[in-house]
Amino acid sequence: MRKTTLLVLMVLCVTSALFANGTKETEVQQPVSTSSTFTGYPMEKDTPVSFWIKPGSSVTANFSSMGDTPFYKEALKRTGIDIDFQHPPIGQENEQFSLIMADGNYPDIMMYNWLSNYPGGPAKAIADGVIMSLNDIFDKYCPNIKAYLAAHPDYDKAIKTDDGQYYCVPMINTEGTGTFLGPMIRSDILAHLGKEVPTTIDEWYDVLKAAQASGISHPLASEFSQIDIRNWNPFMYAYKTDSSFFVADDNTIHYGPIEEGYKEYLENFAKWYREGLVDPDLPSLTTDQVTEKMTSGKSIAAWALVGGRMGSWIPAGQKTNPDYMLIATPWPTLGKGETPEYGWSAMPFSGNGAAITTKCKNVERAARLLDYFWSNEGHDFAYFGTKDVTYTIDADGNYHYTDLITKNTKGWTLGQMIAAYTIANYTTPTYADIRYSKEYASLPSQKEAYDIWRTNCLKHLLPPITPSPDDSKTLARIMNEITTYQRELSLKFILGTEDIDKSWDTYVANIKKMGIDQALAIENKAYDSYQNR
Amino acid sequence: MKQKISQDWQRNKSLYLLVLPVVLFYVIFAYKPMYGALIAFKDYSPALGFSKSPWVGTENFTRFFQSVYFWRLIKNTFLLSIYCLLWGFPASIILALMINNVKNKHLKKTVQTISYLPHFISLVVVCGMIADFCVSTGLINDVIAFFGGTRKPLLQDPAQYRKIYVISQIWQQIGWESIIYLAALCNIDSQLYEAARIDGAGKWKQLLHVTLPGIAPTIIIMLLLSIGRLMSLGYEKTILLYNPATYETADIISSYVYRSGLINQEWSYSTAVGLFNSVINLGLLMLANFLSRKFSDTSLW
Repeated sequence: MRKTTLLVLMVLCVTSALFANGTKETEVQQPVSTSSTFTGYPMEKDTPVSFWIKPGSSVTANFSSMGDTPFYKEALKRTGIDIDFQHPPIGQENEQFSLIMADGNYPDIMMYNWLSNYPGGPAKAIADGVIMSLNDIFDKYCPNIKAYLAAHPDYDKAIKTDDGQYYCVPMINTEGTGTFLGPMIRSDILAHLGKEVPTTIDEWYDVLKAAQASGISHPLASEFSQIDIRNWNPFMYAYKTDSSFFVADDNTIHYGPIEEGYKEYLENFAKWYREGLVDPDLPSLTTDQVTEKMTSGKSIAAWALVGGRMGSWIPAGQKTNPDYMLIATPWPTLGKGETPEYGWSAMPFSGNGAAITTKCKNVERAARLLDYFWSNEGHDFAYFGTKDVTYTIDADGNYHYTDLITKNTKGWTLGQMIAAYTIANYTTPTYADIRYSKEYASLPSQKEAYDIWRTNCLKHLLPPITPSPDDSKTLARIMNEITTYQRELSLKFILGTEDIDKSWDTYVANIKKMGIDQALAIENKAYDSYQNR
Repeated sequence: MKQKISQDWQRNKSLYLLVLPVVLFYVIFAYKPMYGALIAFKDYSPALGFSKSPWVGTENFTRFFQSVYFWRLIKNTFLLSIYCLLWGFPASIILALMINNVKNKHLKKTVQTISYLPHFISLVVVCGMIADFCVSTGLINDVIAFFGGTRKPLLQDPAQYRKIYVISQIWQQIGWESIIYLAALCNIDSQLYEAARIDGAGKWKQLLHVTLPGIAPTIIIMLLLSIGRLMSLGYEKTILLYNPATYETADIISSYVYRSGLINQEWSYSTAVGLFNSVINLGLLMLANFLSRKFSDTSLW
């Protein structure tokens, strides 16, 4: 009889790990060696460090492994550390991660969102013996990381557990680099309609209506099936709410989807959907379909990434329509002239980081490798590559990519070239560089976008709190059910298959019944200890 | 006794070797994993390993039975399976009978090849095609609009989901599943048809009294196997086709296992759900076998 493939697969991993590796459960965490022979980079040749990381799509377009990029070939020369990259298939990071966890053969370094995606949270990952606490390792082998954290106490607070343990070498989104996603609209169409850039919900409605009247049947489109896009809907943030937990004005954590503001958002968005202002296929739209709609003029507004989306739509649109231009619009508000309080921005630390696992054979090498990109030299290298080859410094001290990158002859996109010669273009365990962001945003619309999309939202987005392992487990259990329900109902309210006026109260009651109050208590407890760090 | 075994071995050595890979397949992929299913009764944590993870008794099962989604998952899995069986099962028999009656050899081969080609297309591609056909500007809506209907997005309507699933399932499998009936049809003695014709039976009577009884054992065995698989719909097609708007009719046990096991990393819980599903399948198979033994001579054991 055929059982579910999944069950067989998972269970097979479990058993094979058990049979193949009978001693693994008795292994103890390796003590950090105290005698370091480090005498500066490049280090002497030794066994490669295995590094599990999700490659950016700009890398996978041209390389099967990050190790094949010119960047890492150069990095090997500079650091002397060989890296054996292990990449999960795109879109299956979580499944792959689960399988590695169940199997127990962890690579030396694993880049992952340890904060939100490890069940039980980072403290549990350390307690489970999956990853190492990095406090000693930072002290001994990572002078550059130490120096950076000492200079940035805010970040330092964010990347620890409540009891002060470092669990990963983080990706830090420094000031101004986090606003890389937001609402955008065709400025040439706006001019044609004689409308100003919309800033409020009413103005948006007015613009979308006018666009519809001019023959654009469904002016607003976004790939709503992607969780990020669904959760970061600008037309929701206008109602001062969020699609999940957020910090409200009273400095406690609230759950957005059961609050009045969220209801108003749904009512408004459902109305837009009903009137055809939003694409009718909203829940099933794929990124390619949105690209097609946005570049062909079937839609004129979306919320999307500044680089991969806006940066590729503009040149693509201009091929058929020379007037084609997109501009970023501020995160919408309800009242005219308000500063947007809510919106989305990457948190300084979102939980992504490179952890050193307990199976790491040479901890010092792994730590030195990660630390290198936090030195001034290493950081310039990480974001700009090699001086006079891939970048030059002008008279004012500004960094610019050379023609090798910007005017490549291979027909690669700018992102793909940057991803070949640097590691700036995707999530990497070091701090982000605004100089790169502005260089990468080569079009004026893109450069402006970073500032236009600034809001006060960092106050309201959930900081990297770490509930206790038991609490995390309860929380995950409760939220897995609630999230399924909330997503399902939110969509139904928008599509009009469920009547908001009639069903809203039942919906809220059901979420309460599923235990949202307990979840909120856990979140707030963790938030309190976060503030007391 | 011993002599008998060694004699048998001597005589059938090559046959045993031939069956070895199949036996190994089942040992490795079906029997060994059963041991791992024990984590359904544990609070499995990979770091603690299999033996040290604490036992929790039936907690994982109780949690599933009390879950708000329990009845919905059962209902969706059951209905989707039943519809696939109800429409898909006869479809392949009918196709086989029709192909069997085609006189032109080339036409017959062509129809056969075309009908089982979809079976070899990757599911991801098939689902991509379905998604493109079902959007409000897609092929199906073009047809609807041509006949004066209004365009509407189909893949986000819970009421349409099962139809889309079942119809595409039939399209994909009908040719492949008809092969076995075609083989059975070849085995019917042509003398029986001659005799029937002499007795004055037309095409229809021949079908009823010769053809169908001739392939009845095959049909029953296939039906038994299908019933045994009734509740074990794979998660692959579902996760490629559903979205939160259609969870109501689309979410089935295996997609739920997929979400809780591989996305939310609740290994023990998802194993418990999967195990529960397997137990139901076993029960269904035994029931079907019992009924078949009672009412006909054909059964699996």
